[in-house]
Amino acid sequence: MTSDDSYPILHAEGVTKRYGARTALEDCNLTIPRGRVIGLVGPNGAGKSTLLQLACGLVTPSEGTLRVLGETPAANAAHLAKVGFVAQDTPVYANFSVGDHLKMGARLNPTWDQGLAERRIAQVGLNYKQKAGRLSGGQRAQLALTLAAAKRPELLMFDEPAAALDPLARDGFLRNLVEFVTELNASAILSSRLLGDVERVCNYLIVLCASRVQVAGDVPDLLNTHYRIVAPRGELDHPPAGMEVIRAQHTDRWTTAVVRGDGSRPATWTIKPIHLEGLVLAYMTRAMGVAGQPLMTSSGEVGR
Amino acid sequence: MIWMSWRQFRSQALAGAIALLPVVAYLIITSIDIRRSHDRYEAQCASIGNCAEAMLQFQNDFRTRLLLLAILLAAIPGILGVFWGAPLVSRELEMGTHRLVWNQSVTRRRWLTVKLLLVGFTSIAVAGLASALLTWASSPVDAVSQDRFGALEFDARNIAPVAYAAFAFALGTVIGLLMRRTIPAMAVTLLVFAVMQFVVPAFARPHLMAPETTTREMTLQAFGEVRGFGDDPVVKGVGVPGAWVTDTSALLTADGDPLDKATYRRCATDPPVTAGAGAGTGGIIACLADLKLHVEIAYHPNDRYWTFQWLESALYLLLSGLLAAVGLWRIQRHAT
Repeated sequence: MTSDDSYPILHAEGVTKRYGARTALEDCNLTIPRGRVIGLVGPNGAGKSTLLQLACGLVTPSEGTLRVLGETPAANAAHLAKVGFVAQDTPVYANFSVGDHLKMGARLNPTWDQGLAERRIAQVGLNYKQKAGRLSGGQRAQLALTLAAAKRPELLMFDEPAAALDPLARDGFLRNLVEFVTELNASAILSSRLLGDVERVCNYLIVLCASRVQVAGDVPDLLNTHYRIVAPRGELDHPPAGMEVIRAQHTDRWTTAVVRGDGSRPATWTIKPIHLEGLVLAYMTRAMGVAGQPLMTSSGEVGR
Repeated sequence: MIWMSWRQFRSQALAGAIALLPVVAYLIITSIDIRRSHDRYEAQCASIGNCAEAMLQFQNDFRTRLLLLAILLAAIPGILGVFWGAPLVSRELEMGTHRLVWNQSVTRRRWLTVKLLLVGFTSIAVAGLASALLTWASSPVDAVSQDRFGALEFDARNIAPVAYAAFAFALGTVIGLLMRRTIPAMAVTLLVFAVMQFVVPAFARPHLMAPETTTREMTLQAFGEVRGFGDDPVVKGVGVPGAWVTDTSALLTADGDPLDKATYRRCATDPPVTAGAGAGTGGIIACLADLKLHVEIAYHPNDRYWTFQWLESALYLLLSGLLAAVGLWRIQRHAT
C-alpha cells in the first residue's frame, strides 16, 4: 500500500482529555513518524486507553488538537478506512457467528480484503459457523485482529491486545501481529502494561504515566541517549549541561542514576549502558513521585 | 450497513411478528363478528322497525371489546419504543460493541441514520397495520356511535398511532443513547411515553385548534345530562350533538355572572319540593332549572376529526424528527 509520507501517523499538540473532574490525559505532545511499531507503555489508569480512543475518534479531546494520518480522527468514512482499532477486551457481537463478522467487515469497509481475512481465519483455526460469544478470549482477540487488519488500514491500533491471553497464546498473537503489520506495510500502536510484550515487537516507545507522556522516541535512539551513571554522592546534584537526571538512588558514598544526555561526563564517573526496562522504570518512578513503591515486577509488569 | 442493521434487528423483528400475529388474528375475527352482527341488526331494523334500539344494542354489544382492543393497540407504540428503540444504541454501549462497529469505515452518523430508518419505519409499519385493522374492524360501530374524539378511540385509529410509534421509537433510541444502560433506558422510555400519552390528550389536544363556543340554556332536559352535582356551581357532561366538548363554564345567571354559591347550595341541600319532582337529584334539577341558568360551552365539531388527526400526527412527527436530530448530533460527539 502506498502511503504519503508528508504527514506523521499521529500528531498531538497540547491534547488534554477530562472526564468530569478527572483528567485522563494531560498536555500530550507527540509526533510519531510513519512505519513504526509503537509500544505505548504505562500502568493501569495512566491514560493509554484514552490516548488510543482519542486517536481512533471514539472520544474527542477536551483541549488541544490531534491529527491522525493528517486528519481529525474518524472525520469521515475514508479516514475511518485507514485506521484499524481493536479495543480493550476485544469486543465482538456475541450472537454473530465468525462468518457474520467477516460479512460485516466486507459490507462496512470498501477496502476490505476478503482473501486476507479468510487466510487469517484458516490460519488461527476458527470455525465460520461458531458464534462469537462462544469463542475463547484468545480466539476472540484473533477475530478482532482479523477484522481490523482485513480492512487494510495504514494504522493499526491495539488497546491491551494480549491482556486476556495466557502466555502461550500471547506469544503467538504478538508474533502474528508483527507479521501482519509487515504484510500490510502499516504502522501499528499497541498499548500494554507489560513492557515485555512491546519490547519484543516495537521499535518506538511511548511511556505514559500519571496522565502524561513521560518519554517517546525510537527505541535505538532512547537506548543511545540514556545510560546509567555511578558518581560520588552529591556530585550529581549539579549535573553538567546537556544531562538530565531521570532517577537517582543513593548509598552512603555513591549515587546511581539514570540520565539522559550525550554521554559526556567527568572522568571520575562510571557510565553503563541501560536496558529498556530500566529506562522505563526510571521514568515511571519519577512520574509517580514516590520512591520505594513497587512499580514493576521482575517479569516487567507495571503495577501501581 | 443495511445488512448489518437487519442482521442485528432480525431476532427482535421476529419476536415482534410473533407477538403481533394473535393481535392481527383477533382483529380480523372481531371484524367478521362486527359485520355479521351489523347485518343481523340491519335485518331486524328492516323487518321490525326498531332501528334506533337495534343500533344501540349493536353498539353496546361491541363496546367493551373495542375498548379493550383500543387500549391494547394504544400500548403498541410504547412497546415498540421500549423494546425496539431503547436497546438500539444502549445495548451497543453496554456491551462495548460500539467500539467495534464505530471503527468500521462507516461514520457514526450514517450508522445511526440507517438504524433509525430501518427500525423506525418497521415500527411505523407495525403500528400502521394494527391501526388500519382496528379502524376497519370497528368502522360499522364507529359509524353508529359517532364518538370519534373519545381519548381511546382517537388514539388507536387512523394515522395518529403511526406518529406515536415514530415518536416512541425515536424517544427510546435517544434515551438509550443518553443513558447508556438498556434496562433503565427502557423504564424511562415507558414512563416518558406514558406521561406524554396522558398529557397530550388532556392538555394539548383541545388547543390544537381554537374551539367553537355556544351557549346552552340549562333547562330541565339539559340538567338531565349532567353527571352528578358537586360542592361548586359547575356541571359536567352537558353535550353538544356531534361534537367534542372541551370546556364547560360555571353555571351562569341570566346577566352572565356566575351563580353564587349560596343559591347553588340552597338548591343542592334544601331543594323545595315541587310537583312532579321528588327528593334527591330531581329536586336539585327542578330547583336549578327554575333559576334560568345557562353555560358557555367550548367544543370541536366532529368534522374537525381529520384536521385533529393530522395536526396531532404532525406534532408527534415533528418531535420524532427533533429527537432523531438530537441523537445524530449527540452520537458524533459521544464520549465513552
